[in-house]
Amino acid sequence: MQWYSKTRNKIILLAPTLIFYLIYMIVPVLLAIGYSLTRYAGVGKPVLNDFKNYTRAFSDPYFALAIKNTGILLLVSFVMLVCGSFFVAILLNQKLRLATVSKALVFSPAIIASIIVGILWGYILDPSTGLINNLLHAMNLDMLCQTWIGDKHWGIYSISMVYVWQQCGFIATIYLAGLGTIPNDVLEAAEIDGASFWQKLVRITVPMLKRTVISVGVLVITGSLKVFEIVQQLTNGGPAHSSETLVTYSYSLTFGSREYGYGMTLATLTFLISFVIMMFYLYLTRDKESGGMV
Amino acid sequence: MKRKVQRGILHVILYTFVLIMMVPLIWLVVISFKTNREILTQPLQLPSTWSFVNYKEALELLDIFRLFFNTFIIAVTAVVLQLIITIPSSLAVSRMVFKRKRVQTAIYSFLLIGLAISPFVLLFPIYRINFFLGISGKWALILPYVTMGISFNTLIFVGFIKTVPSELDEAAVIDGANLFQLIVKVITPVVKPAIATVIVFNALYIWNEYPFAAIMLNDAADYTLARGIAFFKGTYNVNYAGIAAYSVLIIIPELIIYALFQNSIVEGMTAGAVKG
Repeated sequence: MQWYSKTRNKIILLAPTLIFYLIYMIVPVLLAIGYSLTRYAGVGKPVLNDFKNYTRAFSDPYFALAIKNTGILLLVSFVMLVCGSFFVAILLNQKLRLATVSKALVFSPAIIASIIVGILWGYILDPSTGLINNLLHAMNLDMLCQTWIGDKHWGIYSISMVYVWQQCGFIATIYLAGLGTIPNDVLEAAEIDGASFWQKLVRITVPMLKRTVISVGVLVITGSLKVFEIVQQLTNGGPAHSSETLVTYSYSLTFGSREYGYGMTLATLTFLISFVIMMFYLYLTRDKESGGMV
Repeated sequence: MKRKVQRGILHVILYTFVLIMMVPLIWLVVISFKTNREILTQPLQLPSTWSFVNYKEALELLDIFRLFFNTFIIAVTAVVLQLIITIPSSLAVSRMVFKRKRVQTAIYSFLLIGLAISPFVLLFPIYRINFFLGISGKWALILPYVTMGISFNTLIFVGFIKTVPSELDEAAVIDGANLFQLIVKVITPVVKPAIATVIVFNALYIWNEYPFAAIMLNDAADYTLARGIAFFKGTYNVNYAGIAAYSVLIIIPELIIYALFQNSIVEGMTAGAVKG
């Protein structure tokens, strides 16, 4: 490629991508940080107000609540998806009858638009007309009926479960691909040596899937920090911001209350928090040099 | 015998699980045939008549074919533009000889930063940039979508090109191919499997994307499916049956496409995750 590596050719190949990237990715991030230092209501010019937005964020109880809710959402999805979906994958991998159809069906929620996922779960979770409470009522289990959406307690848990429903098959499919890479003879050898199902699982399958588990963790963390449409459709962050997550709260302040400056401060902080969580996770799961795992 | 019982139990667990997973979708279809009164007063009953009246009404209230058309045009334009710009730039990053290797690595890392940036930070600034540049209509959505794919495409294409020996393009160059011919006739066929992955991944994202569509599209004539259903729900929010019918109309084509291209869709969506 020496002949073609003239500066002119490099520019021809790289320029279009770099122009798009600068205008719609890099400049917007810088603008967001810029706006975050201002007071701006959409009219006139943004007014610099030092770091007042940031001090306001740290004393904003709703922001604290949004952090807490996002934490709950992250934890529930992490446990249910990183661990729960693993067992779904093991089950789907057992060469049972109709396993292929089952895989396809379980995966299907992942291709449906999140906004429709939010809408359709409304018909399930609605406290008065929804499926769950009416089923419980029909079975005389009224004491189990809850205000799944619309009160302060259950909202964020309902949202978490809907997200898990949407992602479960997708994550299980990633695990299935990983399970397919484990050589059969290793498992067979273990079986001949008399290893039980659980021993094979803990001693062979899980260690050999370590890389897949780490990638799944990354997907679940980045994904659950971006859950938006489900919240918006089910509770719209309410009542009184009680089920707001970081992205919906910054969105509602930016586009709902038109506090563009403060909204961008929250968006910037959200981005930083996500970044720190991700770095922390990657640090925890980094390859230890002498680690015996593959 | 014990093994048979075990397999039996596993089958029961699997089918129960699949059924539970499917309940929300089945329930949506059931709801879409009920009347609004039935939904409110007899929540558990099946519809008294299985008529398509809700569907007919929903279609009269909002032109779903226009939404499909818009979504299709936006997705195709954005993905085609993505391919046109990211295949050449990935070629430069992976194959061209830079005097200083560090510059090349830096450009590559720079192009990957986007993977870590949440689209929610970008919403308002991009809205302002579109306004500033005078970009409106479908383009206000297409151009950000093109950019959203750059980092992912770069990761996939560069990773793929690096696995292919460079003799092929060197031979083409010796045979007198120019830059354009090299990209179209040599590199594009070579990265074909990666192109499939990239198309599926980005097209699906764009098809289902909502936050950008909600902010960037001002004119109802440009609405995408996701934006359209939100608009429908916001406007006719007591028409439960209509919203359900509308949702079914959007989901069914998605499921058909999924059934037809299941393998490439699953592969495209899980790409990168397995390789880590």
